[in-house]
Amino acid sequence: MIDAEAIDDWFCREVLPLEPALTRYIRRNWRQSEDVFDLLHDVYALALGGARSGLPDYTQGYVFTIARNLLTQRSRRARIVSFELITDLESLEPDVDIFSADRNMVARDDLRRAGAGIDNLPPRCREVVRLRKVEGLTTREAADRLGVGIDAVEQQLTKGMRALADFMLGGPGHIARPSRRERQERSK
Amino acid sequence: MSGPAHRATDLAALWILRQEEPDWTAEQQAELDAWLDESLLHRAAYLRLREGWRRADAVARDEAPETPDEIQQAAPRRWQPWAMAASIALIFGISGTTWWRAPAPVAPVNFATPIGGHQTIGLADGSRVELNTATAVRAAIDGDMRTVWLDRGEAYFEVAHRNGVPFVVHAGVRKITVLGTKFSVRREGDKVSVAVTEGRVRVEDLSPAKASRAAVITAGDLAIARGGSTLVALGAKEKVEDALAWREGMLTFTSTTLGDAVAEFSRYSSRPILIPDAAVAAIRIDGAFEADNVDAFLRLLSDAYGLRVEQDAKHVRISA
Repeated sequence: MIDAEAIDDWFCREVLPLEPALTRYIRRNWRQSEDVFDLLHDVYALALGGARSGLPDYTQGYVFTIARNLLTQRSRRARIVSFELITDLESLEPDVDIFSADRNMVARDDLRRAGAGIDNLPPRCREVVRLRKVEGLTTREAADRLGVGIDAVEQQLTKGMRALADFMLGGPGHIARPSRRERQERSK
Repeated sequence: MSGPAHRATDLAALWILRQEEPDWTAEQQAELDAWLDESLLHRAAYLRLREGWRRADAVARDEAPETPDEIQQAAPRRWQPWAMAASIALIFGISGTTWWRAPAPVAPVNFATPIGGHQTIGLADGSRVELNTATAVRAAIDGDMRTVWLDRGEAYFEVAHRNGVPFVVHAGVRKITVLGTKFSVRREGDKVSVAVTEGRVRVEDLSPAKASRAAVITAGDLAIARGGSTLVALGAKEKVEDALAWREGMLTFTSTTLGDAVAEFSRYSSRPILIPDAAVAAIRIDGAFEADNVDAFLRLLSDAYGLRVEQDAKHVRISA
């Protein structure tokens, strides 16, 4: 049994830098784009679970094998993917070069990227994230400064955190919109 | 299939926000631990978000320095390895809840160490300040405000937690507001370095005629401020450890140029060490040395590096 902290550390250090390549891999092999975020997290969860019995020697191969197996299994269950795609999936090897390029890019650009990520946010969101990150204000202090309620600050910060974290991990950094199904459920 | 990861991420975001707040309690931590143990999806969403959010701490760096100086030019080369060592340290923000108030007039108390000196002093509020060689500080502590001025040298602070009573260190035009507990500040002319071992601090530039600028750095981070710019190295745990080796009376060098190493030793000795040859000053060295034992260091230079060391009463001269 590996201790939890070592697994968390490994996950952040070795698995998360794969996110851009992994996202592309899932997107390329799965039709519904609104499922990509969930599939990505399913791969992460399986990777975390598997690591409890020992950290893999080769993280990239380990993670992409999980992704391929998951997509294959889901495709079969969903009966929505043609036989050809399944064959294609099983023969598809993750792109090594793309991955190593991503990893360097993400690590090297943290400083520049953080600023760009914040600039990408909508104005109100940007303001609370700035107060938090740059000025180090607590939620209460930010609420007082802006003359709004704590709930409003938390709501904007949550949105901003999600978008900024996504951007820092190599994603587009858009504010997440509820998926079509969620919107339908809500409107019921 | 759409949904669960988004919901888990929204919840994780709230946990992370609340965890950064000053009033985060052990009970809340236990609740968070339980939530994380509930499902691997929760854990994955939380770790991912925390890591991405933490990386954005890099923005604490000055955003538009007006006078690019040597720190900035050196930045990409020197700081890249540490930037890569993405830290996952939990950020426990323990911040004072009171905003800056005008300090009540209290007569400051003076403390100083001579060259080669090393002394720990206790302040009235229970905080401790450890002074390195050739250091002078003034401290004014009262019920509303705790202020320390670092007039020269280097000091390590362990700040006693007092709700609502800010602890502020002034180093020249830099103001360091303590949001956490343990950190060191070093001042060489207008260059101010801040290394944090626990908690969070805010480093501000109070130069007149400049928009107020601030950088918040957390445990394992290092900020170097000079002129109009502040450079922040995140997750520079090893560098922070090296920077604090003086507390054990040691100097630690990791691929440091001989010129920089000698400058370090010179802080502890009144006899200057000269290196006339730039090629010799550029030699990189590694190792840990006793700060007050310059002789051992010089012996290593002649034995291991084959350098010539000449000494007289006033100077030490190193050459090839």
